[in-house]
Amino acid sequence: MSQHRSGQMKAFFRQWQVQSMVIPGIVWMFVFCYIPMFWLIIAFMDYSIAKPMLQSPLVGLKHFEDFAADDRFWRSIRNTLGMSAIKLALGFPIPILFALLLNEIRSLRFKRAVQTISYLPHFIAWTIFGGILLNWLGEGGVMNQLMMALGIQDREILYNSDPQYFWWIVYFSDVLKETGWSAIIYIAAIAGIDPALYEAAELDGANRWQRMWHITIQCIRPTIAILFILAVSGMLGSNFEQIFMLKNNMNMRMAESLDLYIYNMGLVSGRHSFSTAVLFARSVVALGLLLLANYTSKKLSGESIF
Amino acid sequence: MMRRSMKQGTSLILAAILALGLLAACSKSEESKPSAQPSASSQSPSATASGETAPNPDAAAWQLDTSPVDLTWFVGASWYGRTWGDSLNSKYITEKTGVNVKIEVPSGDANEQATLMMTSGKLPDLISMGSWETAVKKLWEGDHVYALNELAEQYDPYFFKVAGDGTLKWYRQENGNTYGVPNDSYSPNLMHETGMTAANQTFLVRKDLYEEMGRPDLTTREGFLNALQLLKDQYSQYKGQPMSPFFAQGNVPYGMTEYLQNLLAVPYEKDGKVYDRFTDPDYVAWLKTFRTAYERGLINVDFLVDSDTQVEEKTNNARYFMMIREWTGMTAVNPMLAASANPESYYIAVDGPQNSNGDSAKLFPGNMDGWMVTMISKSTKHPERAIRFLTYLASEEGQRDLFLGKEGETWETKDGKPQLKPDMAQLLETDIEKLEKEYGIMDTYWMMRNPVIVNQWRPEKAPVIKQMEDFANAQADIDSGIYKNLDPLGDSEVAVSWSRISQNWEETLPELITAKDEAAFDKIFESYLTRRDNYGFDQVMAYRQAELDARKAKMSE
Repeated sequence: MSQHRSGQMKAFFRQWQVQSMVIPGIVWMFVFCYIPMFWLIIAFMDYSIAKPMLQSPLVGLKHFEDFAADDRFWRSIRNTLGMSAIKLALGFPIPILFALLLNEIRSLRFKRAVQTISYLPHFIAWTIFGGILLNWLGEGGVMNQLMMALGIQDREILYNSDPQYFWWIVYFSDVLKETGWSAIIYIAAIAGIDPALYEAAELDGANRWQRMWHITIQCIRPTIAILFILAVSGMLGSNFEQIFMLKNNMNMRMAESLDLYIYNMGLVSGRHSFSTAVLFARSVVALGLLLLANYTSKKLSGESIF
Repeated sequence: MMRRSMKQGTSLILAAILALGLLAACSKSEESKPSAQPSASSQSPSATASGETAPNPDAAAWQLDTSPVDLTWFVGASWYGRTWGDSLNSKYITEKTGVNVKIEVPSGDANEQATLMMTSGKLPDLISMGSWETAVKKLWEGDHVYALNELAEQYDPYFFKVAGDGTLKWYRQENGNTYGVPNDSYSPNLMHETGMTAANQTFLVRKDLYEEMGRPDLTTREGFLNALQLLKDQYSQYKGQPMSPFFAQGNVPYGMTEYLQNLLAVPYEKDGKVYDRFTDPDYVAWLKTFRTAYERGLINVDFLVDSDTQVEEKTNNARYFMMIREWTGMTAVNPMLAASANPESYYIAVDGPQNSNGDSAKLFPGNMDGWMVTMISKSTKHPERAIRFLTYLASEEGQRDLFLGKEGETWETKDGKPQLKPDMAQLLETDIEKLEKEYGIMDTYWMMRNPVIVNQWRPEKAPVIKQMEDFANAQADIDSGIYKNLDPLGDSEVAVSWSRISQNWEETLPELITAKDEAAFDKIFESYLTRRDNYGFDQVMAYRQAELDARKAKMSE
């Protein structure tokens, strides 16, 4: 055991050039993720921006009680969970399917082209992508033209003004923008599978479906499990930029996610302590979700993060 | 999660690159500064006697001493990129007064920077900060800055003449002192005198359609609906695209609320009591008219959902028929439309929705608070030069020097009126950057800008803009500046109540307009009023009343 460990250390020092590349990441994480945790204490204070940080009066759980009594808070919880549930149930498998399909393409050139094109939208900022999307969904936009040409609707609909469409707009735009990018990690995992497995299976007479099911999927199962655990723990989060771009006064009822609520309370209304309290509560629940998903995954499939 | 942090990482790197780029750009421009410390002021020694004579309240005191002096000037706007000493005009003023200014801007948030400077105890000589910033109050209360009235009495009583009585009173504190002078402040008296009010709220229609339709009456609810019907029947398409009949700037909280209420001349107070403008019968009746229009398919809700880009696109293509919109936002578009293939498709200001009495609109004028306030810190070694310099800048002579520059070089007198030279006027239209960097005139140094004085020297605006401006000026309710920003701000309990109420209104108004019938409208409105009470509307009204009373007391002093 100890021999094994010292071997690891040796390997670590041998690769110091490579290993040191992670340092900026660690520093970044420390500065932006760990230091701010200390300031969560303002959730228990009546923090005023005009006073030095620690001189604000302590108020205990007042802000927690306040948000628990706010109907808008519960509405934002409903919206967040609704959008996350759609994303998780219908959005999570899509990159996996995409990666599997891509893997079956014989022509290497075509495969590369599809892959590149599919992840390009990821690099467009939401502020821009959202603007394009709003145009597509507008009165004279592609969406209306398409639907009218197909005879599905007979007059223009302002898709973005109807709250009932909002969750679906969020879901489809997310799929459109991120599928290619999310698939990369699966494609990488698939690329790491030993080709000997496929050859052996082929000799044994396995067809393409069987090879996909029994080899590819089984081999990338750990990756799927980890990403699923992370996705579950992120259920109380949402893509803030996306929702911020697409929301308006008319669809606010279905659009205000927890993130947006925190923003509206903290930055728009200037209730810093209050929004920190909401954030705090959200993080605690997210941690709970993470542990739950991890535990379940461990029991069911033997895969887990820790 | 990983994706998230990666994204953030990338943006961080990009931000860092950007920041480095900016820094590089800054230092570059600093290096290329053509050593411009004017060895001047030796040229005009005759003007002064070194002995301090008794201050004369009728003459500017800066002439008493024009020996070179350096004053640092903190300008609380991180984006402000002008320097002193590079431009023709700043050299001229330094030469004339002996004051060499060193402009400092905050690297980030002005408020934070000012707080930092206060804790370190080292403040620049002059400080200009946004009048709403909390640091301003702290500077005043913490005794970090001089009382300007005391300095003026001692060194330059001419200050009282030029600073404007109203403004001084407006910023007078309970201890009787005034610590700052505002820029861009509009006092009612001056607005009455000059007719220039900085009012920018207008009701606009597209000229060609409006005239083809026979200048329909848009002031009554029936007329409004009839005009919309006519538009739908005859002009629903423009250049192959659907027309948008109506637009309201700033969406619910502004265009459909405060702005519309101003058009309807809904009062702010009745018999000395602040008035609840939301329940005003005329306002509610007009909201119902919009509902009817929506029900009949005469308007769409695009004005409630469109993004800025979509609005811009529609505006540039003249696809709106009427707009509740500030004319200042149309100064670029209107000349463009007037020069387009359809030169009549620009927008003109007309009488829009009016209340049932047919009163003309009561629009917001500029107000007394102004934009930034300028103060003299107690750290300065030259308080006498500082107050004299401020007095000079506030005086008509200083305003002219700062705004127009040196006579003969950047401006000349024509028909008894100062006027920009043609090449400067040309530059103003084509290359403002160059105008400000090389010549430093017009709006380059706005820290002490008094619009009532300088606006008379602005070049004549194009007729398509002037029409809108004149219309707004004529409808400005000059004495209503006192009602602006009466609402509680910040994170106090009453402010939280108000922000909950107003954010709820933003969601309620679209529901009202899309309500299926009048009964549904009434029901939604009723439930909003109940929610509003639950959120603590009484306290908000009490706050407004107290605020208004305090302002009135100040005004009547």
